[in-house]
Amino acid sequence: MTIDIRKYSAFLEQVAGEIDIQPGKYQDAVNRYRAVGRWLEEGSYPGCTGKLSIYPQGSFRLGTVVRPIRDGIEACYDIDLVCEMPLRKDRTTAQSVKSMVGDRLRENATYKRLLDPEGRRCWTLEYAEQDGVGFHLDVLPAVLDGSGLLSTAIAITNKVGSAYSWSASDPRGYGAWFDSRNKFAFDRVQLEQKQKLQRGAPLVFASIDTVPDQLVRTPLQRAIQLMKRHRDLRFDYQERIEYAPISIIITTLAAHLYGNELDEYSALSGIVRKLQGHAALVENRAIEGCLATLGLIQRRPDGKWYIGNPVNPAENFADRWHEDNHARARAFFAWVVALQKDLLNILEETNPRLVEEHLGRVLGTAAVTRHLDILVLPAPMIDTPPRIHITGAAKPWREG
Amino acid sequence: MTEDLQRQIAVLTAFHKGLANIARHDADTVVSGTLPFEASADGLETITESFEIELTVPDAFPESLPRVRETGGRIGNDYEHHNASGTLCLAVPVEQRRIFLENPTLLGFVNRLVIPYLYGYCFWKKHGRHPFDEAAHGYEGILRHYLDTLGLADEAKALAVICYLFEHGYRGHHDCPCGSGLRVRACHGPALMILHRTHNQQTVRSDFVAIFEHCFAKFQDGQLSFPTPLRLQILRLFNRL
Repeated sequence: MTIDIRKYSAFLEQVAGEIDIQPGKYQDAVNRYRAVGRWLEEGSYPGCTGKLSIYPQGSFRLGTVVRPIRDGIEACYDIDLVCEMPLRKDRTTAQSVKSMVGDRLRENATYKRLLDPEGRRCWTLEYAEQDGVGFHLDVLPAVLDGSGLLSTAIAITNKVGSAYSWSASDPRGYGAWFDSRNKFAFDRVQLEQKQKLQRGAPLVFASIDTVPDQLVRTPLQRAIQLMKRHRDLRFDYQERIEYAPISIIITTLAAHLYGNELDEYSALSGIVRKLQGHAALVENRAIEGCLATLGLIQRRPDGKWYIGNPVNPAENFADRWHEDNHARARAFFAWVVALQKDLLNILEETNPRLVEEHLGRVLGTAAVTRHLDILVLPAPMIDTPPRIHITGAAKPWREG
Repeated sequence: MTEDLQRQIAVLTAFHKGLANIARHDADTVVSGTLPFEASADGLETITESFEIELTVPDAFPESLPRVRETGGRIGNDYEHHNASGTLCLAVPVEQRRIFLENPTLLGFVNRLVIPYLYGYCFWKKHGRHPFDEAAHGYEGILRHYLDTLGLADEAKALAVICYLFEHGYRGHHDCPCGSGLRVRACHGPALMILHRTHNQQTVRSDFVAIFEHCFAKFQDGQLSFPTPLRLQILRLFNRL
C-alpha cells in the first residue's frame, strides 16, 4: 500500500479537526468571553471616556487553535483576549491599566474565584473542565498606541518583578494580514464547510447562516494546526521545550509561504518544501534567489536572525535565535526536516501498521486511530458496497 | 447527543451511506438503514450482501456499546446468536470491548464487529458452519473466553482470574491467579493486562457475577471446589456489589 494523496488529504483534514476546538466548545468560549467583555464594559474607570473593546487575538482569532498536549496529556485551551481601554498611552501608566482591569474582574464574585495570580501580561480566568475540556481566558489589558505603524496598533502591559512597562503589539493588524493570506481559499471552502459543520452539530447551529466564519478552516489553517501539533509532540519534554519553534513564527511563515493550494497535502508539502529551502542559512550559506528575495527568514551580518512581524517590521520574532549557538534556529530547521519525513514521506510507507504507528507518534494516537480507516480502507464508491477485509473476528455468542 | 457522537455518526454515514435514518429515543440515538458490504476474510470467500440494521447507541457511548438488531427479518430463530429481544450477540462482552477499543468509533464498531458478524451469518447459512467459530451461550461463554484467552482448563481458575481483576485491576507483583506460584508479570501478565485495560467498572463487575454464578452452580452440585483464599476473596467482593 502506498497512500493515495486524496485520501491522505482527507485524513489530515480529519486529524486536524480532531485537534481543533470543537464547535460547541468554541461557542461556549465565545459566550464566556462576551460575558467577561460585558462585565468589563459596564465598569467605570477613572479617566476613561468612550467604549472599551474586547476581542480575541492569537490562534483563537486566527482559527489555528490546537488542543495543547502537556507531558503527553491533552490540556486546556488557551484563549487570548485583548481588553482595549479607551485611554491614551501618554496619559496613563501600564500599571494603572493593568490594575483597573484586575480590580474590575475581582468585583465579580465568579471571576474573583476563577482568577489566577497576576501574570506578566494578562489576567487569567481558569474555566473548569466541562466534558473533560477546560480553557483559560487570558485577558490582556491594553490601550491604543497612537505612535504605532497602523491605526490598529496597541500597547500592552508588561510586568517584570514589580516594574511595569509597555510593549508594542498589533493583533488586529496581524489578524487582518492573516485573513488576506487566507482569503482565496476561504472563499472557496466556506460554503461546503459550513454545511458540514451545521449537519454535524444541528443542536449548536440552527442553519448554515449561524455557523461563524471563525469555524471555517482553510488548508492553510489546517496545515498550521498540524505543524503545531507535530511541534508540541516533538518538543514535549523539558530539555527541548525552550527551543521549540514558537507559534507566531510557524503561523507567520506558513501564511507567507502558502500558495493557495486547496487540498491539505499540497498545502502542507508546499509550505514545508519552501521552509526547507531556507535550511542553508544555518550553515551560513546562501539560499535560492526567489526565497532570498522574499526575505522571510534572514541572517544578519552580526549573526543574528530576523523574522519580521508582517504588520510591524520593527518587531523581530526571531530575536533569540542566535542565543546558545543558534539553538532555536537549529531546532527549527531540524523540525522542518522531521515534518517532511513524518508527515509527507509517510505516503511511501507500505505497511498499514507502521503508518498507524508513525502518524500516531507524531500527531497523537487518539486523533490518528479514529480516522485511520480513511487511509486503510478503499473509498466506497457510488452503488458499490464498502469493501471490508475481516481480521481477528469475534466469535458470536448468546446471552442466555 | 454529544457533539462527539454527532461527528462519529457523520463519519459512519459518510462511509455506510445506507445508514441514513437517525432518531432520538430517550437516552439513545438510533441509527438505522441498509448496510451493504463486500467482505472477505483470510482464506475464506468474498461475500457481497446487504442487511437492514438498527444501531441503538446509548448516550453513555463509548463506555457502553451500541445494541444492534437486524430488522429485515433475515436472521431467523434457526441462528442461535441473537437474544430473545432480537439484538445480535456479536461476541462475549469483554471480547466485544477489546475489539471495539482497537478502533473505538462507531465506524470501527460496524466494520470490526457488525460486518464480521453478518459475514459469519451468511457463511453459516451457506455452509452450515461458523467461519470464526462460536462462543458457548450465556455465562459459560464468558467463562470459556477467560479460559481460552489465558490457556487454562480449570473453571475455578477463571473465577480466580476475574476476582483478581475485579479486586485489584492489574497488579504485576501479585501471585498469578492461575495458581502457578509465579508473579503475575512473569506468568499471565500480558494477557491479564489486556483484559484489565479492556474492562471498565461495569463490565468487570458483570463478568464477575457471570463467572461466579456459573461456578457456584457447579460448586453446589459438588463438581467444583474453591480453595479457602478464593472463598474469602469472593466474600470480600460480594460486599462491593
